Amino acid sequence: MAAESSAEEPWPVRVVSQKISAWVGKLGWVWMDGQVAQLSRRPGSATVFLTLRDPSADLSLTVTASRDVVDSGAPMLEEGARIVVHAKPEWFAQRGTLSLRADTIRQVGLGELLARLEQLKKLLHAEGLFDPRRKRRPPFLPHKIGLITARASAAERDVLTNAKRRWPAVDFRVLNVTVQGPTAVPSIIGALQNLDADPSVDVIILARGGGSVEDLLPFSDEALCRAVFACRTPVISAIGHEPDTPLVDFVADMRASTPTDAAKRVVPDLAEEMRLIAQARLRVTNAVRQRIDREQQRLDAVRSRPSLARPHALVDRLSVELTQLTDRSHRAMTHRVQRASSELEHTLARLRALSPAATLSRGYSIVQRSDGRVLRSAADVSAGAMLRVRLAEGELKATVTE
Amino acid sequence: MSDELSYEAARAELAEVVSKLESGGGTLEEALALWERGEKLAEICQARLDGARARLDAASSSDVA
Repeated sequence: MAAESSAEEPWPVRVVSQKISAWVGKLGWVWMDGQVAQLSRRPGSATVFLTLRDPSADLSLTVTASRDVVDSGAPMLEEGARIVVHAKPEWFAQRGTLSLRADTIRQVGLGELLARLEQLKKLLHAEGLFDPRRKRRPPFLPHKIGLITARASAAERDVLTNAKRRWPAVDFRVLNVTVQGPTAVPSIIGALQNLDADPSVDVIILARGGGSVEDLLPFSDEALCRAVFACRTPVISAIGHEPDTPLVDFVADMRASTPTDAAKRVVPDLAEEMRLIAQARLRVTNAVRQRIDREQQRLDAVRSRPSLARPHALVDRLSVELTQLTDRSHRAMTHRVQRASSELEHTLARLRALSPAATLSRGYSIVQRSDGRVLRSAADVSAGAMLRVRLAEGELKATVTE
Repeated sequence: MSDELSYEAARAELAEVVSKLESGGGTLEEALALWERGEKLAEICQARLDGARARLDAASSSDVA
């Protein structure tokens, strides 16, 4: 047999089948984790056939095991259970099929599942999938909302009715998926990618009603979390009731506690918005009106200032100044005149005091010699001298007789 | 008198005129001129405020209508 097959020397089927079997054998023993999609224990048959699905992907493998391996490892095994098997691949040449032969089967308890979930949470957190900075804010008023939920579920009804009540014109694009069991994750991821690709959808809601921890496990699945993280469209997760927080809640751009809460957050309340707008307009108008009133007051204040309101005051003041000045000048003049006249009197009085008139009037008379000098002693003159006698009233001429 | 004077400018000048008048400086003639300027400015300001109020009432009444 040639080492290489060729068109001229093709290998027969048995050779190819035998080579496949060799290749398959090379994988050897593996530990595999999966979810039991189908379980068939045909009565009387020593072998149990299982279909094991990958919880995150649309893939499954057939696993065969002897009845006692199943009974000892996973006694209450039923469909939907999460198991770990230790198996090696077997190639059935006759039918050309591949399956895995398990020698150990262990059921994965809820505790372990949750432990794995915490592990995954740390991993995703470390990778930054929960980073708040990476979260995108959903639009205030979305054009079209993508809704991923189970067909005719309470969740679907809650989101649709509440959103419509708040914003009657809201537009939805609903994709129904399975939200439980092994096929949940792939169907949700498919819907997510579909809506994310739709340019008209500007926010996506992932909604599911309440359920047991197992029911909600798909929403903590790594592949789903990565798919949500990869979405360019903002994603709102509304899974279960208030206390439930599957991992997808941490990755989503916004977490709503329930589907109804999601409806309240995704669209504004029309009535509320109308009221806010009306209020805003009122406040704007009032603000301007107050500004005008304030300016009016300031203007009135300025106009009431005396210098503007009663300009006459200025003229009056000036005229008052004027009269004051004239008064002062008048007073000054009269004062001077008085002083002058009193000075006059004074000097006149002195004059009079000095002047002989007073003595004359008391009967004395002034005798002057012809040369005008006043005669004081009789000896000063001799008989026949001409004298001038001035009396209080009038004068006499006199000659000395002796 | 210039009409394109803004409200703020008119009011500022008005305040200035009043303080000058109150300080009493300048000739009688200047005082009278100042007073006339003051009255004119006050009229401009009042007209501006009335205009603003009218526009506001017109706007908000169109809301009501």
